[in-house]
Amino acid sequence: MSTLTTNQTKWKEYEKAAFRFFFIYFVLQALPLDWKYFSNLFRIQWGSLSFGDIFYISRYTPQFISGSSTPDTWGIGTLADWALIAVIALIGAIVWSLRDKKSDNYNKLYYWLRVILRYRLAIGIIAYGFIKFFPLQSPLPSISNLNTSYGDFNRWKLFSLSLGIVPGYESFLGLVEIIVGVLLLFRKTTTFGAVIILVFTGNVFISNIAYDGGEALYALYLISIALFLTTYDALRIYNLVALRKPTAPNTVKISLSGQWRTSRLVLKSLFIFFFVFLYGYKTYAAYHHDIYQYPKAKGLAGAAGLYNVSDFRINSKQLPYSQTDSSRWNDVVFEKWNTISIGSLKRFKADTSVTEEISRNNDDRKYELDGTTGRAYYSYVADTVKHVLLLKNRNSNYKADQFSLNYTRSANGAITLTGVDHNRDSVYAQLDKVNKKYLLQQAAHGRNKALKL
Amino acid sequence: MATTVITPEAGEISETSPNKKQQAAPVKEQPTHKEWTATQRVAFRIAFIFFIIMCIPVTGEWWNNLVTINWFHLHYRDLYDIARFSPSIYKFQNPAYNLLGYIDWVEALVIGIVGGLIWTAIDNKNKQYHNLYYWLRVVVRYRAGIGIIGFGFTKLFPVQMPYPSLGVLNAHFGDLTAQKIYWLSVGIVPWYQVFAGVVELAAGTMLFFRKTTTFGAILLLGALGDITYVNFAYDGGVHVYASYFVLFSAFLLWYDAVPVYNLIVKERFTVPPVLIPVFTQKWLRVTRIVLKTGTIGIFLVWLYYLQYINFKYDPYKQPGTSGVKQLRGNYNVSEFKLNGQDIPYSPLDSVRWQGVTFEKWSSLTFNVNKPLNLDLSNGGGSPMRDINRNFELTGVAGGKRVFYYDADTVNKVLYLQDKLPEQSKRKGKRGGRGGDKGSNNKIAKSFIPAEAQKNIRNEVTAIDPAAQSTRRERGVPEELKDKRKRAHMILNYTADATGSHIVLTGKDDKKNDVYIVLDRVNRQYALTDSKLVAGKY
Repeated sequence: MSTLTTNQTKWKEYEKAAFRFFFIYFVLQALPLDWKYFSNLFRIQWGSLSFGDIFYISRYTPQFISGSSTPDTWGIGTLADWALIAVIALIGAIVWSLRDKKSDNYNKLYYWLRVILRYRLAIGIIAYGFIKFFPLQSPLPSISNLNTSYGDFNRWKLFSLSLGIVPGYESFLGLVEIIVGVLLLFRKTTTFGAVIILVFTGNVFISNIAYDGGEALYALYLISIALFLTTYDALRIYNLVALRKPTAPNTVKISLSGQWRTSRLVLKSLFIFFFVFLYGYKTYAAYHHDIYQYPKAKGLAGAAGLYNVSDFRINSKQLPYSQTDSSRWNDVVFEKWNTISIGSLKRFKADTSVTEEISRNNDDRKYELDGTTGRAYYSYVADTVKHVLLLKNRNSNYKADQFSLNYTRSANGAITLTGVDHNRDSVYAQLDKVNKKYLLQQAAHGRNKALKL
Repeated sequence: MATTVITPEAGEISETSPNKKQQAAPVKEQPTHKEWTATQRVAFRIAFIFFIIMCIPVTGEWWNNLVTINWFHLHYRDLYDIARFSPSIYKFQNPAYNLLGYIDWVEALVIGIVGGLIWTAIDNKNKQYHNLYYWLRVVVRYRAGIGIIGFGFTKLFPVQMPYPSLGVLNAHFGDLTAQKIYWLSVGIVPWYQVFAGVVELAAGTMLFFRKTTTFGAILLLGALGDITYVNFAYDGGVHVYASYFVLFSAFLLWYDAVPVYNLIVKERFTVPPVLIPVFTQKWLRVTRIVLKTGTIGIFLVWLYYLQYINFKYDPYKQPGTSGVKQLRGNYNVSEFKLNGQDIPYSPLDSVRWQGVTFEKWSSLTFNVNKPLNLDLSNGGGSPMRDINRNFELTGVAGGKRVFYYDADTVNKVLYLQDKLPEQSKRKGKRGGRGGDKGSNNKIAKSFIPAEAQKNIRNEVTAIDPAAQSTRRERGVPEELKDKRKRAHMILNYTADATGSHIVLTGKDDKKNDVYIVLDRVNRQYALTDSKLVAGKY
């Protein structure tokens, strides 16, 4: 099958012992052995494969204990899973040590372990790379988000919004991840890729902790693999760079022969095709046709924008502008898609998702309301013949809040909404379009010119 | 030349590389004795002059700061200003020629090329420059190390990106500039800022030591490469200075790039170049130790202390002195009378105040529904006076006005001045270093009557004594000479014991009689604040 070309070095006992542990540990962490994962794989409709499916395939972590997977998505393992795997690895290593007194070294196993980890790490990093390279992960802020106070977002949302306003930078970060992933696909450039991951994903890890994100453990998972890959050359580099001593290179090489050689080429090509080219193409298509963070359904034509509520009545009683009355609507936003948001003095319990989730289903695409307490978000279905909007609160904490409103639109863009709300109060709202200029956009071409806004 | 450069002895080689014998063809290099090619020599001469120009400060401003420092009464900024400089050779009137600020680099390179060619014409004796290369690396290492440490400390003690003030928390996301949004996104997580500071300090410190230089340079390249890109993306305006460090770290990595590539990618036996000075004279050894210890003592130990004091008592981007204790928080404007006329609340009103905040420091902010002149600068610099510390208003729109106040707490009067001067010349992002200096050397006449001045705290001494410095004692009077006009108001205040209900009466900036009733609201934010808070208010 394969031949190993190396000077047959003898490993020290502790080196062998440590290797046995890490071998079992990382195999259990990296190879898809969790049966629940396969039931997810079977659910994928391969005929209409989406980039989201590949994304979830790439984000495999064993969940022997947590088992937090929900259909269609695949969660992230917990520290308990890690602990279980470590215990299994420890027991396995002890048994192995007792059984195996012959082996001088594990050069060959080490080689193949590195192959597994390199590919595991590569797809993990490339999966996140493409959804940034085509700026999907953090999209441009919605109109509602632009009209929400800074303090009405939680940290994680502000982190994402702040990245979302600079698609070019997001692409750059994605490009770094893609390049790093490609470096890992080749044995000789692995160390460079792994070192960059330590710096790059190290920052992602700290950011997740600082901003209350939910992917700190997954980042740590990738970092632990990168760290293991780095140790292979670490001593050599330290010897050369810090101690400035002449240094011998790695001598362990595997050469495959005959059909194994062909199989390797085929497998590697398929792998690269699936996780780089196909996934890259799918994310590209999504960026052009369907930014997954926002619903895909179209909103009322020509209605997108910010509206001031100039006249508001509940049960025919007019409520004047108020700084204290939380039942009065102050302003309404129509998004380009089928969402309206209502700004009032009310504050809401935020829907919060701190991990990256991709859904085909419009209702599950909650980026616009994730992590913000400032506005009420409704999805709607418009009956453009009868002029009725069927409204449904998008926040999972207010699921019962559903009602319908009649709308009339006037030539100047104003909209009148009337109907009976969720509390069975009759509502009347006169919406006047505000020609709002956002500093974020006005100053986009430089800050050297005087601006009055 | 008092130094020589050595290479490892043969014995050392066999000791550290047991596998050497198995190697087919070890790459033998004898760096010391090897001659450089003609191209290498020319390239080095150019690079040498270029990097020396990049590293050695020549501006009058820098030297002026250095010689006027009172070393017995330091402010963090005294050392920070030593650490922060970049070449400033010649700037064109037409900004297009300044190549986004990189013109000085180009000029330095032109000088380097001309100088390098002259040098080549004169010097046909030297076949290599190992010694000079070593010392050039020393200069670059220390220049980059000191520079990044100056920056790192303002993050280690998180003051470079302040936590948003109440007025900014209430501002809409779309009413901020991209630059502001990035700065705030770091400001809301002080512990992350600390982490970023640790990274920069670690990189800088590693550059002080030969053995760790390459690792420090990798970290510096990663961190500052990202910051450079951030500055371009968010229009942060500090891209030139950030890429200054990228250039230095790339230069330092150049030394090891080929050996590491040979070892890891080509998998060849590699002998690294070794440049280690040997000091023969004692005075040289002593000088080296004194200089190195001095640098570390000043920029790692002393600056640490000064920056801690700054963080604790006088965070440089937010006002340092505290506001009236009673007057703090978010307020609704319950009543607003202009010249006796009651104006009902409407979010569309262009005169009536809304969303009043009294900050921890002596600032009052409110919104009006009206386009206003904006200050789009970064809100940094090193002003000593609170009125000139404008991070709370720069890059913020939405009709927000921010007033600095002096409080006569005996007669309960606020003397308010607009933090944005009228007809501001500071249109763009440049400026904001505390006003026009030196047009007339007299302190500007104040609108605050002398008898009230007696009851107003002395701004110089109003911060904690631990944070006092000569820079502050000189800076405050200097900034008081500022002649720019500011809108001002004189308002009497009466408040209940907790300050939850406040009545302001007096003249606004248009000399209207105003009567304003404020009621505090307990505004809940989704953003969770941090326990790590700068300043003492």
